[in-house]
Amino acid sequence: MKRQIPLMIVMILGFLFVIHTFVPHKISADFYDWWQEWAKAISPFAVVLGVISLGMVHGTKISRKAPNWQYSLVTVLALVFTAASGFIWGRQEGTPYMWLFKNVQMPMSATMFSLLAFYIASAAYKAFRARSAEATVLLIAAIIVMLGQVPLGMQISRWIPDISTWILNVPNMAAKRAIMIGVGLGMVATSLKILLGIERTYLGGGD
Amino acid sequence: MTLSNFVAAFLTLCIFSFLYKENPFYRFGEHLLVGVSMGYAIPLIYDTVFIPYVYRPIFLDHNYIIIIPAVLGFLYVFRYSKNLSWLARYPIVFGMGIVGMSVPMSMHSQVLVQMKTAMLPLDNINTILIFIGTVTILLYFFFSKAHKGAYGKVTNIGVWFMMIGFGASFGYTVMARISLLIGRIQFLLGDFLGLIK
Amino acid sequence: MEKRKMTLVQRMQQLDRRYIYIVIAVAIIIPLLIPFNTKTYVTEPTANIYKKIDSFAGREDKAILMSFNHDASTMPELFPMEVSILRHCFERDVKVFTLCFMPQAAPLVDYAINTAKEGYDVTSGVDYLNFGYRPFALQLPIILGMGEDISNALETDSEGRKIENMEIMENIRNYDDMNLVIDFSGSASIQTWIIYARAKFGANIAAGITAVMVADNYPYLQTGQLVGMLRGLKGAAEYEKLVDIFAAYEDEDYPNGRPYSQEILKEINVPITADKIIYEVTNEDGSVDKISTNAEMKYEYKKARIGMNAQSVAHVMIIVFIIVGNIGYFLTRKNKKLG
Repeated sequence: MKRQIPLMIVMILGFLFVIHTFVPHKISADFYDWWQEWAKAISPFAVVLGVISLGMVHGTKISRKAPNWQYSLVTVLALVFTAASGFIWGRQEGTPYMWLFKNVQMPMSATMFSLLAFYIASAAYKAFRARSAEATVLLIAAIIVMLGQVPLGMQISRWIPDISTWILNVPNMAAKRAIMIGVGLGMVATSLKILLGIERTYLGGGD
Repeated sequence: MTLSNFVAAFLTLCIFSFLYKENPFYRFGEHLLVGVSMGYAIPLIYDTVFIPYVYRPIFLDHNYIIIIPAVLGFLYVFRYSKNLSWLARYPIVFGMGIVGMSVPMSMHSQVLVQMKTAMLPLDNINTILIFIGTVTILLYFFFSKAHKGAYGKVTNIGVWFMMIGFGASFGYTVMARISLLIGRIQFLLGDFLGLIK
Repeated sequence: MEKRKMTLVQRMQQLDRRYIYIVIAVAIIIPLLIPFNTKTYVTEPTANIYKKIDSFAGREDKAILMSFNHDASTMPELFPMEVSILRHCFERDVKVFTLCFMPQAAPLVDYAINTAKEGYDVTSGVDYLNFGYRPFALQLPIILGMGEDISNALETDSEGRKIENMEIMENIRNYDDMNLVIDFSGSASIQTWIIYARAKFGANIAAGITAVMVADNYPYLQTGQLVGMLRGLKGAAEYEKLVDIFAAYEDEDYPNGRPYSQEILKEINVPITADKIIYEVTNEDGSVDKISTNAEMKYEYKKARIGMNAQSVAHVMIIVFIIVGNIGYFLTRKNKKLG
């Protein structure tokens, strides 16, 4: 029963949504409004999941004094302080909460991703090898697209941006369209599997 | 150079220090980032979601029926409980129902519209190439038949199209990664050191 | 001799990755420190967005929506796009709404608006409106809800004010009026707009996306499911140029900006260095326009174009890495075959 009832709910709601998509009747619209209002009221609680999971991981490390537990303390203190500052002093521009976001969260998350530039440069030197004819074609297409995107490409030859555009509009487009159709059909199949109760991983483990 | 910029620049360098090797500065930055990010979300969601969609309807508008979805939402808490985790399925399945809408809509946008524009008259070399590319790749992903003989040769054409497509994606990926680094260096040289005008 | 040559090749193959890091950092730092002027070529997917927004200029019954679907990590590519589009709207009196479904995007929306509106006489609730943050779980209900009634789907703005009776909402009810949605993201979030807002309500959708996602979205451009696409930092640089040349252009003949023209676009390049260049452009009808560039442009308005210089050099470095790496690989392979 612990699995059956939730699966029934998905099935019933799912098929009501299929009907809603095709039938613009008032009952259908009312059903949608009802669902929307409830979905809104459910949504804020999802954040609790994140906090609990983070608290469990780092709380355990701190209480057990696991190796490097001090860093976990940094995470927990940062979480508590940031959240508290938002509740105490508000969230407007100029508050400690916004200061933390702008000068701690923003620069670090941006820098985290920028590290990838170094890794891709290193991979370009060490890993991108023309081992086969297919790999060579891939590398040549990549080089033309790379040059086609920067002003320098046009200065080398006016053909480079043209060829780059052609690659994107013709062979790339054909490839991505075929993949998109495949993915689209896959999405439809997965959605149907969820609606019919065949795909159940989203329910989590247990009975 | 303000204190704010100094802190932002110091933390930026903490993260960059990972390029040399794993070190305490990087770990400190990484853990601080996780904490601040989560701590940041809590008051924001409280103010902009909990208050207008839960608190206000129930306590100010006296629309008591909203207590039911609020209780449903609260069941998320049991997600990590050993015996009661099944309760957390209810808020999840309530949202999941909308996949019913994604069936016809995805079929339309991802499959039908794409197929429709793939059926252009084959009156120039580019439309012919697009047609060949799309069909041969679709055949390549058809795994019920072994890719041998004449069929294998046809699907092999699809592989070449895909390689060009992946090359284009790869070229753009390089571009994206470099752009992100440019952004950080613009911050360090411009906003922090004032060297770019 | 042969032995020494091989050790060099081997050494090349096993080069410490940190030297590569230094080279790529220097390739970016130097062009940023020593700016130079390069021409920004505006491509069709960018120009199409510009023209669409420009067609709403001064209209009470049309508006655009900017959906900020990203956090700070992809800001270098997306932020200059957002600032340029906001600037375009403020210059040409186009109603603009902003919205986000990620907690981390909420301050970025304010940041973009505050950066763009400096120097413009624009008011929240009249010329622009920030709907603020809505949780991701509500993305679909809101996208669909706005197809019926925007005020109903969102109810309040970022400051908690009821949006229904605001001045900006006059004549704006759903996607028929808010007729262009631009989604800025580093993910596949554009698909949600295409699958729902486009397919169900016929809304015009455009994308401002990080370069990683560009190649995958070309099929949508060809089908017309996307009106246009701003592609990575280059897309941002192109839009900056369009706004400078047309929307923000001022002289005696055109006190409030000038209309889009392919001829002018081809000829003119706005320098990022503080040089004033006067261009003479021959129009289709044979008349000659004298156009001078703005030498005192704000740093924020040309940030993407400054970045593109570094992008040029870095791309060349990456290509050199690929070539040198492959030369080493082939020499090693040849040597293995020989001996």
